Amino acid sequence: MSASRPVEVEDLSVRFGARSALSRVSWTASAGELVALAGPNGSGKSTLLRACLGLLAPTQGTVRLFGTDCGQLSIRERARRVAWVPQEEAPRDNLRLIEYVLFGRYAHLPPFTGESADDRRTAERALAEAGLADRAESGILELSGGERQRLLLARALAQETPLLLLDEPTAHLDIGHQLDLFERVRRQVRDRGLCAIAAMHDLNLAARFADRILVLSHGRLVSDGPPESVLSVPLLREVWGVETELRRDPHSHRPYLLPLRAAAEGRLSSPADRRLGPVHVVGGGGSASPVLRRLVDEGFHVTAGALPLLDTDADTAAELGIPFSAEVPFAPIGELARVRTQELLSTARAVVIAPVPTGPGNLVNLELVEALGHPERVLWLNRRADLDYTGGRANELAERLLTRGATEVNDLDALVDQLRRVIPAASFPAAVALS
Amino acid sequence: MLVVLASPLLAGVPIPVGTEVRILLHQLSFGLLFPQPCPSGTSPLQCTAWTEILWYAVLPEVLLALLVGAALGLSGAALQGTFRNPLADPYLLGISSGGTLGAAFLFIFRLGVAQANLVLPLLAFIGSLGTGVVILLASRYLGGSVETLLLVGVALANVLSAILSVVLLFNPVGSIQVSFWLLGGLGGATWDRDGLVLGGLLMAGAPLLLLGRELNLLQLGGDVAQSLGVDARRVRNRLLLLASVATSIAVAFTGIIGFVGLISPHVVRRVWSSDYRAVLPGSALVGAAFLLLAHDLSVVAVPTVVLPVGLFTAFVGAPFFFLLLFRHRRGVYMGGGA
Repeated sequence: MSASRPVEVEDLSVRFGARSALSRVSWTASAGELVALAGPNGSGKSTLLRACLGLLAPTQGTVRLFGTDCGQLSIRERARRVAWVPQEEAPRDNLRLIEYVLFGRYAHLPPFTGESADDRRTAERALAEAGLADRAESGILELSGGERQRLLLARALAQETPLLLLDEPTAHLDIGHQLDLFERVRRQVRDRGLCAIAAMHDLNLAARFADRILVLSHGRLVSDGPPESVLSVPLLREVWGVETELRRDPHSHRPYLLPLRAAAEGRLSSPADRRLGPVHVVGGGGSASPVLRRLVDEGFHVTAGALPLLDTDADTAAELGIPFSAEVPFAPIGELARVRTQELLSTARAVVIAPVPTGPGNLVNLELVEALGHPERVLWLNRRADLDYTGGRANELAERLLTRGATEVNDLDALVDQLRRVIPAASFPAAVALS
Repeated sequence: MLVVLASPLLAGVPIPVGTEVRILLHQLSFGLLFPQPCPSGTSPLQCTAWTEILWYAVLPEVLLALLVGAALGLSGAALQGTFRNPLADPYLLGISSGGTLGAAFLFIFRLGVAQANLVLPLLAFIGSLGTGVVILLASRYLGGSVETLLLVGVALANVLSAILSVVLLFNPVGSIQVSFWLLGGLGGATWDRDGLVLGGLLMAGAPLLLLGRELNLLQLGGDVAQSLGVDARRVRNRLLLLASVATSIAVAFTGIIGFVGLISPHVVRRVWSSDYRAVLPGSALVGAAFLLLAHDLSVVAVPTVVLPVGLFTAFVGAPFFFLLLFRHRRGVYMGGGA
């Protein structure tokens, strides 16, 4: 037992007949860690949990619990190492809560004996930890859905195992009970050094409570790490087929995602090259953020720059996974950023200029747009003459562009309409054009 | 319970209650108590006759009713728990068809009709238990889920019934005997037979009573039970085997007596507890009392004729069961016992 980890999964494959439910998954979990198991329906979350519980045998590979192969542990020994909180349970008999929780002591009882006073104390403590201490003598059929789920947690805690597996324990709960349940689990992990692994559908809940998120897709492990490194717009699009916007929860500083809509069929499996664009956005100081979000929403392939790092627009671009050229904060755009911006502009099929204040430091952005030589593909959003801090040079440049074919638009809807018109029809991918 | 016990003694032949008790105690104490059990004025011949009737005819029947009732109640409780189905009864797995076929062989081939006293139970027992074991083995081979088990049971029961029908088609005489046997009866009870039933019941029933805790956990579903440390499949097989033995014993000596195994567990759950550590022994007690009551009624219902007890379990059981359903809504305790 070399410093045995609670769970070590090695090259695990599970097959149901011809269907492969898990293929070659490897990962380990440590004590004192809350791991969220994420993935769309049918991605293999439950299969992985059930394999860890010993409820199904691997087709290939091994699952070790605290250093011992899961399949070699007796059912009783297993129940002393790992406890399970199922998604739901529908009891028919009106047992008392304390009786129900005492079921968790089964694996600790010598054969043919009743529960001892110690077992009872353990059960009562587990009930207290689940916030049900005062209900010990009530009937379980009198409990609400949230309380019933806490009861299942109490039963698992009464098992006194160092490893806890939860299968979407909050799937049917209101938001208050969801938070409550995971706060309790979190506390157990922190105070007792338990290892908890929870299959979760709610990614925001996962991002908020988990130390680590494991993402499964079609039975494969596609990502594993802390929430901030795992959750990204492209991953969510790829794995779940949703367009999202990632923010940062101002309280927990964990990533917070805003689902926008299901990705269109054509886009679901297709990477950036089949999307409309690229559209390059010139902005800064937050002026471009609404544009960036809207364009990503609409399915455009977007680039941006040059933007100062730590600027609101730069943060937005990073969140949305938009490529952009960057300059250090409060400095004029230098040579490197200039070249990078030029590159982005050269591939752009359209350019959007956000209402950004222009000074000597960022005038170069506009000059690069003009140098591109395609004024008919330039869209100027809400142009304001009073934002020129260059002594008139910016306004002159704007006039020149507009007289040569650039378009002024007054809102985002008009911008999107205009973009669809400006970007040459030939570049529309067939799937989108047909839909 | 005592009333139930006493009632059959009044049944067949009118014997004064006091005398009855004295005769019993006399017999039980090997003649030490009440050397003269019958009241003065009774002829010795009559006294002997009463004793004989009580001791060799009535009492074995009473005891058989209690034992078989207990076996059926226990088996019913175990099967309802194993299948998590309140409609399960001891004959669920097609055990009755096997028993009937076994018994039919005797009637048809007239195997040792002269000494049929133990041949019939033996054949029925082999038929019943054989069926149970075949079903268990087949379902294990096919994957061992509860559904498989039930389907195999239903399929096998149908095959056995079909065979029985074919056989009876060519043996009209045998078919009448079989249909009587099917109605179930406690006739032919002797101390020897009671001893066999008691032995079998102890063998199957005692281990069954120890599985109450496991049955409680199985109610949460096989996977959950297993995550709590119960070897669900093994416990389930053990339960089914023991329940099959208990049922087979009952079937062997009394034919098919319906309803006892179905309702006894429900009575216990309604009036006492749904904890299987209580349901198992409780169902045995209720089953015993219930079958004895039905037996008494079958004796006294029509003077001079003893009707098949299987009829009465349904006639008495069904209304009583309805009453219970109406009186005890979910979770209401009324106390008392049967």
